[in-house]
Amino acid sequence: MTGRWRPRGLRSRLVVAFVLVTVSGAGAAAWSSAGSASAALVTSGEQRLAETVTGQIAAVAPGLTYPPDQDAVERLRVAVGPDTVVTYRDLASADGPDRTTAELRAAVRTGQRLVTQRITADGTAWLLVGTPVMITAVDGTRTPSGIEVYTARDLTSVEQQIDGMARAAALTAGLALPLAVLLALLAAASVLRPVRDLRDTARRLAAGDMAARSQPQGVDELADLTVTVNEMAESVQASMAAMQRMQVDARRFVADVSHELRTPLSTLTAVVEVLGMSADGMQADARESAELAIVETQRLVRLVEDLMEVSRFDAGTAALRIEDVDVAVAVRDCLRARRWLDQVDVDTPAALRARLDRRRLDVVVANLVGNALRHGAPPVRVAVQAVGGQVSIEVTDSGPGLPDHVLPHVFDRFYKADAARTRTPGSGLGLAIAQENAKLHGGGITATNRSGGGARFVVRLPAGERG
Amino acid sequence: MKRAWLAVVLLLVGCGVRPSGVVDGGDPPTGVAPGVTLYFVNARGELEPQLRETSRLGSISEALSLLLTGPGTSSLHSEIADTPAPRVTVVTSSQVIRLVLPLTVQEVTPLGIDQIVCTALGVHVQSGGARTMKVQARFTQPAAESDVERTCPLITTGG
Amino acid sequence: MVLRRWAGWSLSILDRVASILLIEDDPLVRRGMELALSRLGHVVRTVPTGEDGLCEFRSSTPDIVVLDLMLPGIDGFEVCREIRARGDVPVIMLTARGDDFDVVDGLAAGADDYVVKPAQPTVLDARIRAVLRRASVVPADVRVHAALRIDTAGLVVTVRGEPVPLTPTEMRFLLTVSRAPGRVFSRELLLQEVWEQDYLGDSRLVDNCVQRLRAKIEQDPAAPRYVQTVRGFGYRFGPV
Repeated sequence: MTGRWRPRGLRSRLVVAFVLVTVSGAGAAAWSSAGSASAALVTSGEQRLAETVTGQIAAVAPGLTYPPDQDAVERLRVAVGPDTVVTYRDLASADGPDRTTAELRAAVRTGQRLVTQRITADGTAWLLVGTPVMITAVDGTRTPSGIEVYTARDLTSVEQQIDGMARAAALTAGLALPLAVLLALLAAASVLRPVRDLRDTARRLAAGDMAARSQPQGVDELADLTVTVNEMAESVQASMAAMQRMQVDARRFVADVSHELRTPLSTLTAVVEVLGMSADGMQADARESAELAIVETQRLVRLVEDLMEVSRFDAGTAALRIEDVDVAVAVRDCLRARRWLDQVDVDTPAALRARLDRRRLDVVVANLVGNALRHGAPPVRVAVQAVGGQVSIEVTDSGPGLPDHVLPHVFDRFYKADAARTRTPGSGLGLAIAQENAKLHGGGITATNRSGGGARFVVRLPAGERG
Repeated sequence: MKRAWLAVVLLLVGCGVRPSGVVDGGDPPTGVAPGVTLYFVNARGELEPQLRETSRLGSISEALSLLLTGPGTSSLHSEIADTPAPRVTVVTSSQVIRLVLPLTVQEVTPLGIDQIVCTALGVHVQSGGARTMKVQARFTQPAAESDVERTCPLITTGG
Repeated sequence: MVLRRWAGWSLSILDRVASILLIEDDPLVRRGMELALSRLGHVVRTVPTGEDGLCEFRSSTPDIVVLDLMLPGIDGFEVCREIRARGDVPVIMLTARGDDFDVVDGLAAGADDYVVKPAQPTVLDARIRAVLRRASVVPADVRVHAALRIDTAGLVVTVRGEPVPLTPTEMRFLLTVSRAPGRVFSRELLLQEVWEQDYLGDSRLVDNCVQRLRAKIEQDPAAPRYVQTVRGFGYRFGPV
């Protein structure tokens, strides 16, 4: 994304963080210890060199003639070693190049102390030691003798020791690297295993396996999280089971009620027809009552049939009976049987064969066209066409269309778009059943509004293999 | 890669030895002197230093040899008997300067012992040694005085 | 078109009183149906159980049996098989809607047609009349196809001289398809012509009828000679 590499995944992030911390820690420790050690090394080396010079001078000093002559000066210079200059007033003895700095010489003359200074010359580190030689009286008082000794000592060996320590420090930091990686992997594994367990459990829960649980390990935050996830799954499982039980109970209740209603409805259906056949001889009010009884009984029968149909969809017992169907003919038959042909414009190809459940197709078309005729305004139009491997049946009306808040619920059971329409001749299940039937075929129904006004329902059903 | 690491670490450590300013390195050496100080006894019976101009300090052994040979022409005298072989063996440890004298305890008066101790200690101090050093004077014949660790009444530690 | 032709064609022989045996366990439904069917001009005898039904069937020999499948004691399927074994009296089942197992089993047990409950008496009446209508108005002749002999006047079918008892539906089916040997009849057309059903007729009625017919007239029902299947279209008689 940004082009910069960033560690992805918990494991690599943990490893990188762990390694950075460990190596920088080891590096810092090695750096500081090497720094102080090298300082101590330099100091002690210098001290040792200074003491050596002091010792060398002190060893020969009592034997030197004083005031010294050239010979004594030479002797002292030889005793101190190479790279040494010894002066006394205008006498001097030198060996090798004189590296003495002016400030060192000044410090020796004014301070009457032994002084040292590190310099670098010819790519080598040198320690310059300068000192006056003192005369000590018997009572301990010291006075400068006028003899001054300047010598340079090579610090290469000290430098090599310091380099060795630096190398050791780098090596320590380097050695910490694989160890850090190993520890980081172990730590990551111990952290990641419960995380992975949790992830697997969450996946199984998401996939619907409500019995999935993780085993909490240890007493850390991850174990707490695992316990919490388990509790959550437990409560979700319990409430889902309760909901499913309630749903099953409710559906069984609907199915049972519908079934029980069928027996009295059988009697009613039989006798209202007798009433209808006898209506001609009745008085007006009795005849109207008989007609009402017939109409309402038929409606009750439709409602119960719709309820039982819905129950079958819910129970998953609705089965398709696939036949070779000419959709164009079937749609016309459906409209003709309900005497709707003169109210509906039908636009179908000459023939459109498909493998469908003839009865369910009839239910779908009847419900959609009936709905359009009841709630929409003429002209109602039915257009059938083949679209790809599908059969498309479009039912449109020219009414006001569906309000936006109704559209998402138009296929809900018993959904009434308008409280005033509660007493429509439909059962309130027609569109829901139509949708279920379309879905049973592997198709579906969509409800939209036409740009020019009016509702548009489009059924799409797979045409199926002809055979 | 490895070299780069090393370079980085070296840089952090401080590139080995860097030049410095002038730093005090302690007491300067000492030990040159125009002569050696010997102790003799004056007319009042007191110890008195005498500078013998030898143009160098020399060793304790040399100083004691000079002491044993006497004050020469002077108003001072020595309370150490003459000895034909005025050679003294000196062994210096960290606490004690042990002198092996070619004398018996009877050949030296207590003041004479002080002469020996003060002369030895004087050379030691002038050579840069500590004034707290003790001196043991051992005699040729066994004597209790041989084991006494002595100091010079004229060279006090207080200074 | 076809329906109207059939209706006009059949009026002369079908508007007669049929004696119906109604086997239904619920007393109120039984009574309601009895009232309605009587009102429609039939002679109705009702019994509450399968046992009573078989008993009544033996003693009175009705023209048709209307049978509720859900019965206490021996169930509707058993009663149907029993009746079928005793002759060619047609049976109409009353089934629960969408109970496809009932429909399939009932047709296999030998029922000629079925009506979904709650049954409208007018619908039931139409089915009764359709099932009872024997195609007796076809021109009187004798069609002989190999070993099969169809006497359209006497409505007698013999195979190799042996008379074969056919239900009215089977007879009508055979007469319909043998009218034009070699012509393919779609299931829809057969449902309209034989069962007088609308466009939503159940094609399983046709298939079941063919199966039973083949069992009766074909030498090898698995390799039919007279009533042949035209896959994807329907059935065809011969050509022999």
